[in-house]
Amino acid sequence: MSPMFGDRHLVVVDLGFGDAGKGATVDWLCSPEADLGVAAVVRFNGGGQAAHNVVADGRHHTFAQFGSGTLAGVPTLLSRHMLVEPIALAAESEQLAALGVPDPLGLLAVDGRALLTTPIHIAANRAREDARGTSRHGSCGRGIGETAWYALENDAPTVADCRAPDVLRAKLDRLAAHYEDLIGPSAHGYESVDALVAMYRDFARAVRITGPAELARLAQAGRLVFEGAQGVLLDEWRGLHPHTTWSTVEPRNARAMIRDIGATAAVLGVTRTYMTRHGAGPLPTEAPLGFPEPHNGTGHYQGAFRQGHLDPILLRYAIDVCGGIDGLVVNHLDVPGTLCAAVAYETSTGRTTEVVPGRWRDLDHQQRLTDQLFDATPILAPIETDPAAWLAERLRVPVVLTGHGPDRRDRATDSGKRAAEVGEQGRIGAHVP
Amino acid sequence: MGYGNWDDTAYRAGKTYRARQGVDDFGYTAEMRAKPYDTWCAHPLLDPFGVGKRECRDSAEHGNSLPVAVLFDVTGSMGRVPRIMQDKLGKLHGLLKNKGYAQDPQVLFGAIGDADTDRVPLQVGQFESDNRMDEQLRAILLEGGGGGQKSESYELAAYFMAEHVATDAWDKRGKKGYLFLIGDELNKPRLAARHIRAVIGDHVRRDVSVESIYRELEQRWHVYYILPNQSSYYRDPEIAEHWTALLGQNFLKLDDPGAVCELIALTIGLGEDRIDLDTGLADLRDVGSSDEADAVGRALGSKPGPTLRALPPGR
Repeated sequence: MSPMFGDRHLVVVDLGFGDAGKGATVDWLCSPEADLGVAAVVRFNGGGQAAHNVVADGRHHTFAQFGSGTLAGVPTLLSRHMLVEPIALAAESEQLAALGVPDPLGLLAVDGRALLTTPIHIAANRAREDARGTSRHGSCGRGIGETAWYALENDAPTVADCRAPDVLRAKLDRLAAHYEDLIGPSAHGYESVDALVAMYRDFARAVRITGPAELARLAQAGRLVFEGAQGVLLDEWRGLHPHTTWSTVEPRNARAMIRDIGATAAVLGVTRTYMTRHGAGPLPTEAPLGFPEPHNGTGHYQGAFRQGHLDPILLRYAIDVCGGIDGLVVNHLDVPGTLCAAVAYETSTGRTTEVVPGRWRDLDHQQRLTDQLFDATPILAPIETDPAAWLAERLRVPVVLTGHGPDRRDRATDSGKRAAEVGEQGRIGAHVP
Repeated sequence: MGYGNWDDTAYRAGKTYRARQGVDDFGYTAEMRAKPYDTWCAHPLLDPFGVGKRECRDSAEHGNSLPVAVLFDVTGSMGRVPRIMQDKLGKLHGLLKNKGYAQDPQVLFGAIGDADTDRVPLQVGQFESDNRMDEQLRAILLEGGGGGQKSESYELAAYFMAEHVATDAWDKRGKKGYLFLIGDELNKPRLAARHIRAVIGDHVRRDVSVESIYRELEQRWHVYYILPNQSSYYRDPEIAEHWTALLGQNFLKLDDPGAVCELIALTIGLGEDRIDLDTGLADLRDVGSSDEADAVGRALGSKPGPTLRALPPGR
């Protein structure tokens, strides 16, 4: 695997709507088994709403803000593109400590320029979703959208402000005033600004707050793995509007950061052998497949967890809006039975086999794609061969890693598979379906 | 996507963060932790091998440079103290300047381990007078090793400071600098030639007595040893006797490691005759460091006058 990537940094994105197995992928890339010399995991989008499951050495954790390399002992950098939520971060560090990770906060560096998601944003988020009633967007209720949206027009609190209580207090007061009409009459509230300021000061004293030079410093120590959150089909500009997230999910920000330090990247796209989606929005191949889903239930704000047949048309679109990718990671190869894939869509205007990207930031185009997909009925065909190989051929991207279960030891590279086939003790313990 | 902790409060989060205060993990340690132990090495900024001289020079705007060196023990017996040092020492330069305790201080930081057992037994930075000091502190590897035989390689650090440092203060003005060793154990029985060869790179063939290296060091440095509380041997009379025999009243005990900057600053202020002890302690209380003032007062024996008095050993 190493020869394939050379000294490139790795960017891991989900080609669907999230939940495809980025966490397990990042954990494996950081693991001793992979031997890729990873110095740090960098979060480059989203915030505390991520839920990346890692199972390794008998331990399970759902990573939200810490990078999924934590169980492998790899430090995390929350970059300036990340929305940081310190209250949840503290709880997550306690969970990790309980799992036996020594001093989890010591593995963390946070860019001072990152926006802060506060209980005020979260209360506003929930009040707004409640007011929407049945026309919910599929929000997680974690304040992500409010954080990004408020910062567009206002001087929003940042991580660096946590070190300057007076500055922070003034910003929080303005934030609270801004949302008074929305939150006041709602069922939601938040603690006093004084309590928040005191807590944020403690946060700033306990974690390492860094500046622009941090990324280059980490890169000198080894390979970086950029861990995306959510999925490309939820991207704020490229996703299926309006059922999107307030975050740039496709890898442009990660690519730019890597360019800035004069390095190169390999982008890995992660998918399952079928589609999944949380909450509202198009899912053309939706079907009651009934595959078990131990870590994803129904969220109060984001709605039900849905499944659908493999959709290479949507995956191809995701790859296109990523500006191409360098490798595929295919997970959930352990699901039983014959899989089906969409070969085309029937729509009211005829048959189509592609979803065409528009110009970047053309939300009218994105809305048309959403309408097109709501109107699409998939034409399905069974996959008669190994789904990973089938996907590699259909999407014209090599498969670099496959997942055959939730655990770290369930990951296999091609070389690992070959080792298993020729009867060697493959280090990865691949069991080929 | 999924989210569990709906009842988290600012208070609970604050408690988590407070439990870790002063434990700012400087990235280099975290970086090394992510690698196999047998590949651990000193940060290039701090690697003492083959460096020639660390220099403390005058400049156009700072014509009266005063060398200040602080080397702290980073072995396991020190407990959380090295973290506290890393967190607090960044204030030292500002404290010296703001109080007028020293005119043009230049500060060097370093770390001491065990040359018999550690991967990185000595780290020594450069003399700096700006925020690059923070960078040095961050680059110190907190190895947390040590050999468990109640001795660390302080004498190796002493050798480096005696042989590999050049200062304008001495060369131009015949003025001594200030060196603070912070630790809780004994010197090795002898300064081992093989340690010098392996860690510093000098071609030394014969072991040297510990006593003689400190005598040489004291020709150009005021040498202090600070034994901080929260370390393993704070109350061990053997440690106090050992260092008192070597350094006399320059052996200091500090009951609050968080006050290390104040103790060092005040010690320098006293040594430079810029201040008397009571005024210095009052200074500290003025800036809201009353707990630190109490700790420093106890360490220096709160009695007016320019002379220092250490606590009697073992108290």
